[in-house]
Amino acid sequence: MIEVKNLRKTFISHRKEPGLKGSLKALFKREKVIKEALKSVSFKIQQGEIVGLIGANGAGKTTLVKILAGIVHPTSGEATILGFKPWERDNNYRRQMSLIMGQKAQVWWDLPALDSFLLLKEIYQIDDFLFKKNIEFLADTLMIKDQLKTQVRKLSLGERMKIELMAALLHQPKVIFLDEPTIGLDISAQKAVREFMRNYQSEFKPITILTSHYMEDIKELCPRIMIIKEGEFVYDGALSEVQKMMGDEKRLTVTTKEKTFKVNVRRSELGSTTSELFKSNDILDLNIHDPSVNDIIESIMNYGIKSP
Amino acid sequence: MKWWRFVVASEIRKILAFRTDFWVTFLGQTCIQIFIARSLWQAIFEASGKTVMEGYTIETMTLYYLIVPIGSKMLTGENMGFLSREIYEGTFNRYLLYPISFFNYKTLTYLTYSAFYGLQLCLAFIGYQLIFDQFDLNQVIQLSYGLFFFMLASYAYCNLALFIELISIWADNIWSLMVMARFLCFFFGGAYIPLNFFPDILQKIIQFTPFPYFVSLPINAMMGKLSTKEMILGVVILLVWSLIFNWLAKRLWEKGQYTYSGVGI
Repeated sequence: MIEVKNLRKTFISHRKEPGLKGSLKALFKREKVIKEALKSVSFKIQQGEIVGLIGANGAGKTTLVKILAGIVHPTSGEATILGFKPWERDNNYRRQMSLIMGQKAQVWWDLPALDSFLLLKEIYQIDDFLFKKNIEFLADTLMIKDQLKTQVRKLSLGERMKIELMAALLHQPKVIFLDEPTIGLDISAQKAVREFMRNYQSEFKPITILTSHYMEDIKELCPRIMIIKEGEFVYDGALSEVQKMMGDEKRLTVTTKEKTFKVNVRRSELGSTTSELFKSNDILDLNIHDPSVNDIIESIMNYGIKSP
Repeated sequence: MKWWRFVVASEIRKILAFRTDFWVTFLGQTCIQIFIARSLWQAIFEASGKTVMEGYTIETMTLYYLIVPIGSKMLTGENMGFLSREIYEGTFNRYLLYPISFFNYKTLTYLTYSAFYGLQLCLAFIGYQLIFDQFDLNQVIQLSYGLFFFMLASYAYCNLALFIELISIWADNIWSLMVMARFLCFFFGGAYIPLNFFPDILQKIIQFTPFPYFVSLPINAMMGKLSTKEMILGVVILLVWSLIFNWLAKRLWEKGQYTYSGVGI
């Protein structure tokens, strides 16, 4: 189980004015900027759950994942995962955890994947039988068997992602952090990764936190989502409930000569809003529809949850 | 197989993956440096009219400069930036995720490179002796002492390098700091000019620093210039410096892990 209470993280960075003058000035004096990446975050996740962590760029998703994976220390607050404080980096915790980063390779580029796996086998102390079984299962499911003896740097992006997945799951972790696992992949590779994760989740029942900008990943894999905005959770609950929360709203897609824009409107205000729009704009097309999950999440990320 | 044995094997595979680089650095670099050093010192010896300078003949001086380039590579093990580059790029995160000590991992990879260059040093030393002198049991013993001291010096230097490279947690780019540290170690270690050519007072002062134990001590061991007492003292001093640098690096990491932001993800 993951239990997080009032977790906070502030980062200190330095601001530099643009241009040569700013660069020269920064040689002697830099302006210190304190950024609150996480503002008192609390939640619980049970074993076997897969949770989607959603937020705009810079909202604090990756910071939260980095703290839970033990890469960075929080400024304050508590977190317990399987009974361990992640940032203490107890080896017994690290043997049960995995972080998969879509944008960053963790396997060794100059070695064939199989060599990296053999090294990971020793690092994670995986016994021979389990190692062989897992290699076979993962390579078959991800359809990557023929690429295991090729240097990782010579593989395609999709193949590398599959290798990363294999490397991260070889030791059958009980906690998985998936950070943008489908980023940069083509449609079929995205589908393959999603399909694989769904099967893996149902077979091994780990706790999984998935962060992704692709709503398809979230919709297909996560029954529960947590939406983070400027370091705070604005929603933590079932994905299916999100749609109900905005059930009173309609989405208008308006096309004028200059631009196309979208606006959310309450059902009761639909008539007055459309006539206002027609009066004040030279409208070419107007489309009224129920907001999709993507629309609703986008709206929550941008404006938070509106009170009824 | 234990994980550390596998790390060593993987690192050797990585070194061998770039065979052009292997032969260029081994043969090309060593030959060029010997050629330059031999020509330079021959001119100096001829100009001075001496056959022995500060205990060195032209032959022993050539041997000195044969050992210096490969010995220096042994000392500096994995490339400069072996940790700071990973911190800068974010690949350092993997060592925090794996259930092993990153200090042990990085020290091991570093020393694997040192041992590999040690093999090059063996070949070069034996080749030189076979061509210009004779290779007997005495030189086998000298070679063993030299390799032992270079490995010990590499361990000490690795800890110093870990300490310096961890500074990149605060200052992203520490290249100039590393270059300066390497220059100091090489210059005051006797890699550019043997320490016997330094003024007496400077020779005495640098004995209180780790520098002469990084380069000069292993070379002198390899050339059979050390007494048993000097060797024992050398081992003790190198171990003490290793412990000091290791302690400093670990204290720096204890502080740094609160600042480390895991850039790159």
